[in-house]
Amino acid sequence: MNIKQKSQMLALLTLTAVSTSAWAVEEGDQAPIFDLPSIYADHPAISTASLAGKTVYVDFWASWCAPCLSSLPLYNDMYHKYKDQGLEIVAINVDNPIEDGLDFLLDTPLDFLIPADPDGEAAELFEVIGMPTSYLIEPDGTVKLVHMGFRSGDIEMIEEAIRDSLGGGN
Amino acid sequence: MKNIASRNIIALSTTALALPGIALADAPPTQSTISYKLSNYQEDDLSRSEAPLSDLERYDIDVHQFQLVSALGRNMSLHVDANYESLSGASPWFTSRGLDGEPIVNLSGASGISDRRTELSVGSRYYLENGSFGGNIGYSEEDDYRAVYFGFNTERHYNNDLTTVSAGLSHSSDKVFPTDAALFNRVEEEDKQSTSVFASVSQIINQVSSFQSALSFTEQSGFLSDPYKLRDIRPDDKTQIAWSNSYRRFFVSANAAFHVNYRYYHDDFGISSHTSDVSWHQNLGRTFQLVPQLRYYSQSAADFFTNVDDFLSPISEYQSSDYRLSAFGAVSGGISVIADMGSWKATLTAERYLANDKYSAYEVSQPSTALVKYNRISLGIDFRF
Amino acid sequence: MRAFRTTLLLAICSLMLFSCADVRAWERGYLAREEMAWAPDALESSLNDHIFFSKEASSGGNSAAGGGCGCN
Repeated sequence: MNIKQKSQMLALLTLTAVSTSAWAVEEGDQAPIFDLPSIYADHPAISTASLAGKTVYVDFWASWCAPCLSSLPLYNDMYHKYKDQGLEIVAINVDNPIEDGLDFLLDTPLDFLIPADPDGEAAELFEVIGMPTSYLIEPDGTVKLVHMGFRSGDIEMIEEAIRDSLGGGN
Repeated sequence: MKNIASRNIIALSTTALALPGIALADAPPTQSTISYKLSNYQEDDLSRSEAPLSDLERYDIDVHQFQLVSALGRNMSLHVDANYESLSGASPWFTSRGLDGEPIVNLSGASGISDRRTELSVGSRYYLENGSFGGNIGYSEEDDYRAVYFGFNTERHYNNDLTTVSAGLSHSSDKVFPTDAALFNRVEEEDKQSTSVFASVSQIINQVSSFQSALSFTEQSGFLSDPYKLRDIRPDDKTQIAWSNSYRRFFVSANAAFHVNYRYYHDDFGISSHTSDVSWHQNLGRTFQLVPQLRYYSQSAADFFTNVDDFLSPISEYQSSDYRLSAFGAVSGGISVIADMGSWKATLTAERYLANDKYSAYEVSQPSTALVKYNRISLGIDFRF
Repeated sequence: MRAFRTTLLLAICSLMLFSCADVRAWERGYLAREEMAWAPDALESSLNDHIFFSKEASSGGNSAAGGGCGCN
């Protein structure tokens, strides 16, 4: 490949990158407002309004995303550890159909809030650019942390940020 | 039942990262996998008319493959591959003209040969935010052949992971030391070097389809002839180019995936080829999958191919009667049955391969003897933990 | 010949990119399925590569070559 061809290729790649990129929610931004039904038919809807004044950890997940599935049980432990200090975890499921998400939950029960977002409405608002992505939202609605991907060791870092946020709120 | 269903989803997800651009970033596997596959490969015997004077029995090979893929800390993965093959049978020694003037083949040795091949390769990958790079080293040994090789490759995601560009290079340093060299006047020991580079671009087209195009160049130098043939003289340098294209499409209503691959190949021995294969991966419930597959291959002949060895030509002239350098076509078909039970997965595959000069897409001026027909049956087991 | 093929490759890529949809991160469930991978069964692919390498003149594809064998 000569230099001219290389630059043509780069130009092509850049072109499409520009046309598809959008502004993702970043640290320091105000968290978007959402209102979604629960993945469980008999549970009430979950909205930003009902979570006002709490430290909220929002996580986008799907049953087909391997790192998501390894993170969820760890979030469940964290939820039990900090819920009395005011932590709320909202794990937004983007499976379509939602039955795929429900199948996973049958085997791995989770005790925090799980809204269903099969059409990606909330994911669109947050401009999620990778799975999983999670957001730590302060009681005043500012995004304190955006975390993309989930590898071993990440949970300690997330827990520290949550502890920090809960401590600061007291 | 429910348990099986949901465990199966986890199993399906473990390979999510095998396809570029699924997650935001590449990541080491979340589970480890140990795989083993046992295969039997058996070539059809030659007919008496093809080989009036020699043994008819061709290769029968058992192959054992082991693989371990595992995460190595937070950012790395480990890959270990081990293969063991045991082979018996005979291969073409020389060709001549039969009483009717048609070419005939003579297989080597009255009792055939037996050989073993052992191969070990170890690799590792490091995962960055939007890409990864990795390398491997390997060693392969037979009674009369030894190869030491290494490779390096890297990939990077662009465009919110819709596009993946990867590139790599590998090198293999081989030694051939034929058995009974003195007895049959074969070469004692010869070297061969192969260096290969590739680059590929993968693109997600929409929610259900993706496309990949790759280009590879390979340069071989050294002893490229077959030391076991009575007369086989090839150039000591070969340049190969291959252009491969792959398309994947998921059909939601059928709950099946369709694969199609096409490769164009050319080398400076004068051989060009087309390879095309298709497969249909039909899910049957959450546990089973049925995968029928079909492949067509055709190549042109090397410039110096002859279907009847000429022992009178000077040894400075290139010449080979190796059927693999002739113009021919090959059709093969097979089916796999896969049972995925969460942490365990079993795959049974049967395949039939038929090479024939009549199937050739290229002109056949000298039809070769001894084109291969074979059956292959494999049983694979994967365990995820 | 080599330059021609490279140009062709680029042409196909550009056609591809122009007709591509913006598939968002949360819409990649079908693409993530195991049977949608380029090579869903690694051992099957390496076995086939090995057999075809030893019975046909062509080799090379979307990755660099491994080690040689006395089979070709």
